[in-house]
Amino acid sequence: MRIPSWLAQHVAALRALLVFTVLLGIAYPLVFVGVAKIPGISDQSGDLTLIGQSFTDADGNPVTKYFQSRPSAGGYDPTATGASNLGPESVVDTLSDDPEEASQSLLTQVCARSLAIGKLEGVDGSRPFCTADGVGAVLAVFHRDGFTGPITRVVAVNQTDVPFVTTYQGVTVEPATNGEDYQALGGVITPIRGDAPADPVVPADAVTASGSGLDPQISPAYAELQAPRIARERGISLDRVHELIEQNTDGRALGFMGEPAVNVLKLNLALDGS
Amino acid sequence: MAGWIFVLSLVAAIVAVYRPFGDYMYRVVTGTRHNAVERTVYKAVGVDPQAGQTWGVYARSVLAFSAVSLLFLYLFLRVQDKLWLSLGLPAVTDHIAWNTAVSFVTNTNWQAYSGESTMGHFVQMAGLTVQNFVSASVGIAVAVALMRGFAAKKKTLLGNFWVDLTRITLRILLPICVLATLIFMVAGVVQNLSGGTDVTTLTGAAQHVTGGPVASQEAIKELGTNGGGFYNANSAHPFENPTTWTNWLQIFLILLIPFSLPRVFGRMVGQNRQGYAIAAVMAILAIGSIALTVAFENHGGGTVPQAVGSAMEGKETRYGVTGSAVFAAATTLTSTGAVNSFHDSYTALGGMMPMVNMMLGEVAPGGTGSGLYGMLILAVITVFVAGLMVGRTPEYLGKKIGAREMKLASLYFLVTPILVLAGTAVAFATGNNTTALNLGPHGLSEVLYAFTSAANNNGSAFAGITVNTGWWDTALGLAMLLGRFLPLILVLALAGSLAKQQPVPESEGTLPTHQPLFVGMVAGVTVVLVALTFLPALALGPLAEGLS
Amino acid sequence: MTAVLDKHADKHAGEPATGTAQKPVKAGLIDPKQFGKSLPDALRKLDPRTLWRNPVMFIVEVGAVFTTVLSIADPSLFAWLITGWLWLTVIFANLAEAVAEGRGKAQAAALRSAKQDAVAILADGTEIAATQLKQGDVVVVEAGQIIPGDGDVIEGIASVDESAITGESAPVIRESGGDRSAVTGGTKVLSDRIVVRITQKPGESFVDRMIALVEGANRQKTPNEIALNILLAALTVIFLLAVVTLQPLAIFSKAYQAAAPDTSAIDGNGVTGIVLVSLLVCLIPTTIGALLSAIGIAGMDRLVQRNVLAMSGRAVEAAGDVSTLLLDKTGTITLGNRQASELVPLNGVDPQDLADAAQLASLADETPEGRSVVVLAKNEYGIREREPGLIGGATFVPFTAQTRMSGVDIGDRKIRKGAAAAVIKWTGSSSAEVDAIVGRISDQGGTPLVVAENDRILGVIHLKDVVKAGMKARFDEMRRMGIRTVMITGDNPRTAAAIAAEAGVDDFLAEATPEDKLALIKKEQQGGRLVAMTGDGTNDAPALAQADVGVAMNTGTSAAKEAGNMVDLDSDPTKLIEIVEIGKQLLITRGALTTFSIANDIAKYFAIIPAMFAAVYPGLDTLNIMRLHSPGSAILSAVVFNAIVIVFLIPLALRGVRYRPSSASALLRRNLLVYGLGGVIAPFLGIKLIDLFIQLIPGI
Repeated sequence: MRIPSWLAQHVAALRALLVFTVLLGIAYPLVFVGVAKIPGISDQSGDLTLIGQSFTDADGNPVTKYFQSRPSAGGYDPTATGASNLGPESVVDTLSDDPEEASQSLLTQVCARSLAIGKLEGVDGSRPFCTADGVGAVLAVFHRDGFTGPITRVVAVNQTDVPFVTTYQGVTVEPATNGEDYQALGGVITPIRGDAPADPVVPADAVTASGSGLDPQISPAYAELQAPRIARERGISLDRVHELIEQNTDGRALGFMGEPAVNVLKLNLALDGS
Repeated sequence: MAGWIFVLSLVAAIVAVYRPFGDYMYRVVTGTRHNAVERTVYKAVGVDPQAGQTWGVYARSVLAFSAVSLLFLYLFLRVQDKLWLSLGLPAVTDHIAWNTAVSFVTNTNWQAYSGESTMGHFVQMAGLTVQNFVSASVGIAVAVALMRGFAAKKKTLLGNFWVDLTRITLRILLPICVLATLIFMVAGVVQNLSGGTDVTTLTGAAQHVTGGPVASQEAIKELGTNGGGFYNANSAHPFENPTTWTNWLQIFLILLIPFSLPRVFGRMVGQNRQGYAIAAVMAILAIGSIALTVAFENHGGGTVPQAVGSAMEGKETRYGVTGSAVFAAATTLTSTGAVNSFHDSYTALGGMMPMVNMMLGEVAPGGTGSGLYGMLILAVITVFVAGLMVGRTPEYLGKKIGAREMKLASLYFLVTPILVLAGTAVAFATGNNTTALNLGPHGLSEVLYAFTSAANNNGSAFAGITVNTGWWDTALGLAMLLGRFLPLILVLALAGSLAKQQPVPESEGTLPTHQPLFVGMVAGVTVVLVALTFLPALALGPLAEGLS
Repeated sequence: MTAVLDKHADKHAGEPATGTAQKPVKAGLIDPKQFGKSLPDALRKLDPRTLWRNPVMFIVEVGAVFTTVLSIADPSLFAWLITGWLWLTVIFANLAEAVAEGRGKAQAAALRSAKQDAVAILADGTEIAATQLKQGDVVVVEAGQIIPGDGDVIEGIASVDESAITGESAPVIRESGGDRSAVTGGTKVLSDRIVVRITQKPGESFVDRMIALVEGANRQKTPNEIALNILLAALTVIFLLAVVTLQPLAIFSKAYQAAAPDTSAIDGNGVTGIVLVSLLVCLIPTTIGALLSAIGIAGMDRLVQRNVLAMSGRAVEAAGDVSTLLLDKTGTITLGNRQASELVPLNGVDPQDLADAAQLASLADETPEGRSVVVLAKNEYGIREREPGLIGGATFVPFTAQTRMSGVDIGDRKIRKGAAAAVIKWTGSSSAEVDAIVGRISDQGGTPLVVAENDRILGVIHLKDVVKAGMKARFDEMRRMGIRTVMITGDNPRTAAAIAAEAGVDDFLAEATPEDKLALIKKEQQGGRLVAMTGDGTNDAPALAQADVGVAMNTGTSAAKEAGNMVDLDSDPTKLIEIVEIGKQLLITRGALTTFSIANDIAKYFAIIPAMFAAVYPGLDTLNIMRLHSPGSAILSAVVFNAIVIVFLIPLALRGVRYRPSSASALLRRNLLVYGLGGVIAPFLGIKLIDLFIQLIPGI
């Protein structure tokens, strides 16, 4: 019996798929799984120092004798990789007494990290658009006519206690109330730059989460910032620390690819070993 | 500075391989000899490699193969818990399985799931990796069929899909993947069947380090402009893309085939300069886009980037801002969708660029095959307008662009904007936009990005949005399916229509389609007719956010 | 008379060398009064049943209806101004078409008046109305009567006034048999009597078709027009979608920005209907949509103005695509007749004697060739012209086809000139020298006429084909346009090659028979080329039918006119070149205005998007790069510009864009610069300018 041509097409398709599944889906990967076992070919494969880890204690506080990694959206859990995915204008926190309900804006996360690192390293942790208490310095400004007209009300949207400024253009700034959406009430969300230096002491990578959540590296600047603390905690010379940083820094490949970066785990292992 | 050298080195590398690699691909798709392995495959598949196919039969073969693949992959995902190397993971839920099956068969590789916590190794290998290969081959095959349509003189046959599929897979994709896999393994990309290792960190915490056959999938993920990561973090993950030079290599692999296919086109139609012209259009758009992305990302501003001092959120230290921005541009200029940084946290305008790249219609240089055929459709539309302006019935490479050709080309370029705009509008009208993580214009961008990515078969995302709901999985699945196969059928129909024509000999009165003027005009048409369509929507998303 | 008889040799005798000089494609004048006259038609065209054929303008009309309803429901100055201008947009588009048609209508009216209620007198003497004539009827037409229908003269000869259709007042001769047998209904017999067999079907006379044609009735869209319409429809769909899908996004954005006040552009329900329609109308390609059919009608009209009737728009378009032009040598490339260019005496013959004999032999020869010998003798040898009657005892011997020579007998001087073979035979003597001279002249493409007195051959007159002035430049131009010219001639290959070289054509077909012509056309077409040719004889009919553009001469036979797809009322074969140019100009006009229309969108985006959304996101005012006064004035300015630009471009659409024959890349460069770049810049300036006025309106 002749099978109809539409069916023949599908039969051919199925056979083709099976052939390719065997070739590409089974043979090809498995051959390389085998190849990977040949010594010298993939010595680094699955190297633990390729992925980062956090150097914190059980409570999440930094263990001070170790260089600290970057913040991670997934807490350096390889089974939950990924990023915060918060946008550049994520500046308004959701305030609530219930920690489940509350969430920090990206700005507040950055401000809080900067403040904490500043404190840990004994440097100025201030940043533009951050309050002194480490949240986003953001006001909801209410005008009579929406975007224009006299200001009628100003709320510091990320602060429930004392606002970071007392007045805004002559209007008293009030603290925010939990659960209130001031944007929806007609407030114009206005981040306040403040007078922090444009080039903060705490480097950018120290206050931002990586894309993978497993970034094994920090910038040389962040390592440099932490070096005095490490030297102090471990009682070794700052030069020795610098030397180890140097040894564990990957420069740009061929001099132009990517950015120089310091592998934190390797560096800490080296510290422990020395 | 290092960033610009990075870009220039990529340009130089692509320029260097354009001819030799394009010529190699040309020989593969035009050769008449079948090697022993291929003959075995044809026998197993049960096809006569000498038999030619009309456009209709070719299209039905593509559709049959894709339909079978879709069904097979869906079932595979639904029963993965019962299979080898499932790592104890449960069966994939029905709507995620549908979405994922569509996604990988359409070369989109959008991921509504997180790889490390959803897919077992066997499904990754025998299900997803296979589709990474063959969906890329399907795209190239269709592009080759269109080239044959241009080159043919009064013919009806466009080649044999099964032969094209087999050759492209075995002679183009596989050898390069073998090489790339080895290189990746040397660099540290994982290639094992381990279910993971529990380790203790320096400070005593537990960490479950994952394993898997990653390197073999990584190679085709980039080469086939697929983009579906083994892990959720995709090419940002140190096990997928461990070093700054593997980052370079991944971008190179992404661009390799799409940028070399114009050479095949030039060879096929017997005028290499036509290939150069198409490659030039792609290059102009691509370089412009990369420059803008890098510039916006480095100087784009925005409250958080200003507070931080640079747009480092969601980016790896080793790639830095520029290495991430170039990857983002490359992955969206092609229909890849792999990411080495998370676009959602980009500056507003920097994050708009990946969207704009996709909105160009994935043509600069686009996906494997699909980029070239999309660009040729735009060239056809440009030829039509330009051809009228020189006072002749428009013709491209001697083929008249008449009512039928315009109908097919116009329908082609209607499909994706309709899917993107209608999808986005429906998401808002039905309230499904609320799964977006971010608020206001950025939330709008997340929705717009999702449909733009799906309909253009890209697969990257503003990943803050939660899309593993029934509605999102279904809607995006449909967008991917229609966004892939409607254009593909239209392209094959166009190929058939062109092949039948007797070419008009070239003369002084013929519109020159290889000169800078025409190249500029195609680029202009692409920007004005395709990308500007989205300007109103972009105004309420990234532009509203970035221009505040 | 001459050795090689060219079948056209006699036909264009005395005709000036029309069409050879470079004439720019003439602009049709546009009388502002025409706008007024066409306005009622433009309003009639608002009927959606006719408008829907133009999808772009139909959408605009639907939009206008929609905004009218909205304006009634919620009146405001802004709403009514927008609504008014939307209606004007549609009316302007209709006006363009009406003006284009109006010009044809005037011509049609003139034609109708010629087609009076003629009466036909059948061969048996019965009278019937002309409209009742059937094919095959035989009618008798006498001096002073109107010929009742198209047909062929089967008996008699008459002079006919064809000015009603050709506009040419000089009467033409129509006679039975041969290539001058066709007569057209509505023309008038001035003298004599002819018997005509009717060849038309009732109501399908040439004049009927002409009327239908110039009126644009049953105008079929041409292939390129259809393809362009598809593109325009696709663009319309895309923009329609872009606008409609914007609404949920706008509602979301407005709701999110609670601080944003409601404006005339956007409120809690999203973008207002008026503004949404304005955006849509500005984005869809209204400019080309409005002018497309006017361009087509005007293109046909330009041909009509040159006395060419194209039987279909398709033929006009095909003319633009022609890549091979078949041109008859005589009358097209060369003047209709040869001229004496040189007198070659035999050895030992005084040139003066030869000139004298040649002149005497030609005195009674009134053909142009004969006259040219007299002129040459005078100019080169100073022999004064003599009146034939004043030479005593002269008996002139006329040319006959049998003797193939003419001459004069003066006493015992018998002087003859004529075809070499005939004269040699007459003298009974021959010499190698004569053969050599004759051979040399033939080689050069000339015609040798041997002059003999009694039995002595004096020398040879070199009759030469005279290539029309400017032809070489014309053909060079064709070559630059990518068109190959092929000369068709009955001459032998040697002669043909020489003339082809002198005229600068690319190729020639010598000793051409109708079959050769047909074969050549088919061969070219198989190579993918489009072929244009002219013809008039019945035996040209197959070739005319086969050619992509077949221009039949109006003087030709009915069969030829049926077979071709154009008729040239002036019967001027060089017009083919003009027809090609008009065809190209038609396509270029469409392409240029499409480019202009699309390029316009950029500025409109920058006018409307900030106007719509800056109220919600003030930062978007950055996109207001024209710094337009207010959202209302920005949107209104864009809509007004969009409407006015149609009116501004109507003259261009009717006249066609400037066209100078040149290569495709030069054309593209020029048109892209003018209409592409111009299309980008013009609306920025135009919208800004309009905004400067509109902001003076209070409340906008």
